[in-house]
Amino acid sequence: MTLQLSVRSIVKRYGGVVALRDGNLDIQSGEVISLIGANGSGKSTLSKIITGVVAPNGGQLLLNGHPVHFSNPQAARGRGITAVYQELSLVPDMTVAENIWLAHEPLHLNFRVNRKAMRKNTEDLIALFGGTISERLQPDTLVTALPPDERQIVEILKALSIDPQLLILDEATASLDSSQVNRLFSLIKQWQAAGKAIIFITHRMDEIFRIADKATVLRNGQSVGTVDIASTSEREIVNMMIESAATPDDIKIPVVSEDAPVRLAVQNLGGGRVEDVSFTLRDGELLGLGGLHGQGQEDLLLALFGAIPYTGSVKVSGKEVHYRHPRDAMNDDIAFVPGDRGREGLLLVRSIIENFQLPSWHKYGALHNRDAAQRDARAMADDLQLVYAGMETPVNSLSGGNAQKVVLGKWLLRQPKLLLLDDPTKGVDVGTKGEFYALLKRLTEAGTAILFYSSDDDELLGLCNRVLVLQDGRVRDTLTGERLTHSELVAASMGATNNHEVA
Amino acid sequence: MKSLNLQRVFARNTYLISFILLVIVLGINYIVQNNVFELRVLNNNLRTLLPLILLAVGQSIVVIGGGLDLSVGTLVSMLSALLVTWVTPDSTPDQILLAVVLVCAAGMLAGLVNGLVVAYLRLQPMITTYATSFIFSGIALLLLPRPGGSIPRDLSTFYRSPLLDIPLAFYAIALLLLFWSVLRTTRYAQYLYATGSSGAAAYATGVPVRVVRVTTYVWSGLFAALASLTLMLSTGGASQANIGDDMTLDSIVAVVLGGTRLSGGQGGIAGAIIGVMILRVIRNVIFFAAVPTWSQTLVNALIIIAALAGPGLIRLIRRSIGR
Repeated sequence: MTLQLSVRSIVKRYGGVVALRDGNLDIQSGEVISLIGANGSGKSTLSKIITGVVAPNGGQLLLNGHPVHFSNPQAARGRGITAVYQELSLVPDMTVAENIWLAHEPLHLNFRVNRKAMRKNTEDLIALFGGTISERLQPDTLVTALPPDERQIVEILKALSIDPQLLILDEATASLDSSQVNRLFSLIKQWQAAGKAIIFITHRMDEIFRIADKATVLRNGQSVGTVDIASTSEREIVNMMIESAATPDDIKIPVVSEDAPVRLAVQNLGGGRVEDVSFTLRDGELLGLGGLHGQGQEDLLLALFGAIPYTGSVKVSGKEVHYRHPRDAMNDDIAFVPGDRGREGLLLVRSIIENFQLPSWHKYGALHNRDAAQRDARAMADDLQLVYAGMETPVNSLSGGNAQKVVLGKWLLRQPKLLLLDDPTKGVDVGTKGEFYALLKRLTEAGTAILFYSSDDDELLGLCNRVLVLQDGRVRDTLTGERLTHSELVAASMGATNNHEVA
Repeated sequence: MKSLNLQRVFARNTYLISFILLVIVLGINYIVQNNVFELRVLNNNLRTLLPLILLAVGQSIVVIGGGLDLSVGTLVSMLSALLVTWVTPDSTPDQILLAVVLVCAAGMLAGLVNGLVVAYLRLQPMITTYATSFIFSGIALLLLPRPGGSIPRDLSTFYRSPLLDIPLAFYAIALLLLFWSVLRTTRYAQYLYATGSSGAAAYATGVPVRVVRVTTYVWSGLFAALASLTLMLSTGGASQANIGDDMTLDSIVAVVLGGTRLSGGQGGIAGAIIGVMILRVIRNVIFFAAVPTWSQTLVNALIIIAALAGPGLIRLIRRSIGR
């Protein structure tokens, strides 16, 4: 049975945000196509539409020439289409076998689950990865007892268990080690020879060249073209991924002088997704953290704030520290603005003033000095150009940009010397972004050291004089001066090897 | 390997710890009340326990599926009122059978309403079932404004007498466990646990999550009907409009005492049955240990809290030792 799938002009909106404006893709049996694009380009959305997990707002799917509409994942699975998802779709409290065969368990007399057959079939599937996995991975092991790489393998086996005609691997290699990746690739070659179609989403450039026949590139929710891997180069793909017209912002923060005091010195830091990261940050410097989502940037900031355990050496103002709790970091004048402001940054139903004062209550005495607190909060609100009805308004009535100002303001009230920012302009309107950049400039001029992770490449390139690009938790490249360009940043975040060649 | 298996045994049979707890409290009970294992006493205890056991079984199915049913108690009140308005001491067997079928159908219908609102309108289970609980208690009051009702004497005598020297409730419990062990082998059970453990993952795998959610409340409604039938058998049909209202919280506490986690996806009905027994035995012990009447409620509450906190305390201690 051969399969031919065409994705035509797919549109998907989440509320007011357009995730896909014009998604196109063609694939047929025996092909391996790599789907690539920068952060938020719509790769995952497109794959979810193909597998029926989300419904598109417009466009068409053509299966063997006929329009199809998958209203749920079951419908797509019925036609032999399934995916290995990036955020895992396993049920933690069930065993490996139960997870793999969930919703298509082998049955006795159409009624009782045939556990024997289920175990046997699971063993056969596990054998595909034999030699690259631990003894732990057995049909009867609970998924919650498995480490991330083996969960990922269970996820792959689960997709395989329906014997798919089209298999989507959405960053399935991200948590696998190299022997597991090699095994997966040789399996992909076998499946390809057996006539399966495979869509392979990855953030590793070398994998694209190892496994794919073609690459389809997405940019800002739009497919910009498909190239034959045999006749292309990493540089050509990188150029397709970036927007040629993008211009960096004109607010450039001046290069910090070589003799400014070192605020933060990090040696061989590891923890969470971070491995072996070293760098220094001087007073008055804005150091950028770049790369694709989830490459360890957030964990690096959390580790420095004492919120997750870490190894390695961290020196703050020359003093060796080992934080065990955010309070330790706060005592050393460090502040952290988290990425998920709704969950970690704000008390949404409480008032602006309460949010502002939360990290600094003690400053106003045991018997709360309300007047002083009000005065400071108002000054900070004016300083940040916060638009608000009154100090007592709950924060959830503010717009995204204004809410973010409150998060920032509550930490600035403590007058931090080192500011850790986790994607602070996410979901913030353009006008507020501009104010925000000016604020960063003022802060650095006042001598604040800032470590700034952003998923917006323009921002990093426009503001920073030095950008650390992370991939798989390691610093893949450090961009400065001439090399602060889009193509260098994208190439480094994809782990491209020919960084220094000019296209 | 070995330790992994043991871990799995405990993770799967969450009632094991509860079972140990039950043995301990039964031992204490034996010390303060020597005749607890005599047939007559055992039969009396189990007979009055069966309604709550049935209710807790229904509750645990809802909880495993990731929900919570706060309406089961008033549903028992409503269904009991319904039963005694249909059945009189002079009813023929046919009439009684019809009434039983109708009560079961009414219970399932009530559960269906709960389930549809929770699964399709996506209201919080707690809010939904709290709200419907007032509907049920309102109907109960309309049906039975004054306490009353009675059923044929033969029925209550039958329910009271042991069969082959074994309390009737034992047969009922055996049937429940048989029902569960069969259900546990079906695909439906896989869906139930998957839905309760991680609804999103189950959905992405093609499990009809909403349908499964609805069915859990229908089960709970059916078991509330069975609970009200046994309750009427044990009271001889004497009912009142709020007869079951207090059973809701007991059913939830029993589920938790039985080792089923309130967040769903784990546990089983054996735990709920054990949980009900633990609750009852604790009350027994307090009664026979000559705790002053006015302190009994307080002591009872303290013991239950200690039992509920047990697993969490063990985990805390284990962590502080550093595993």
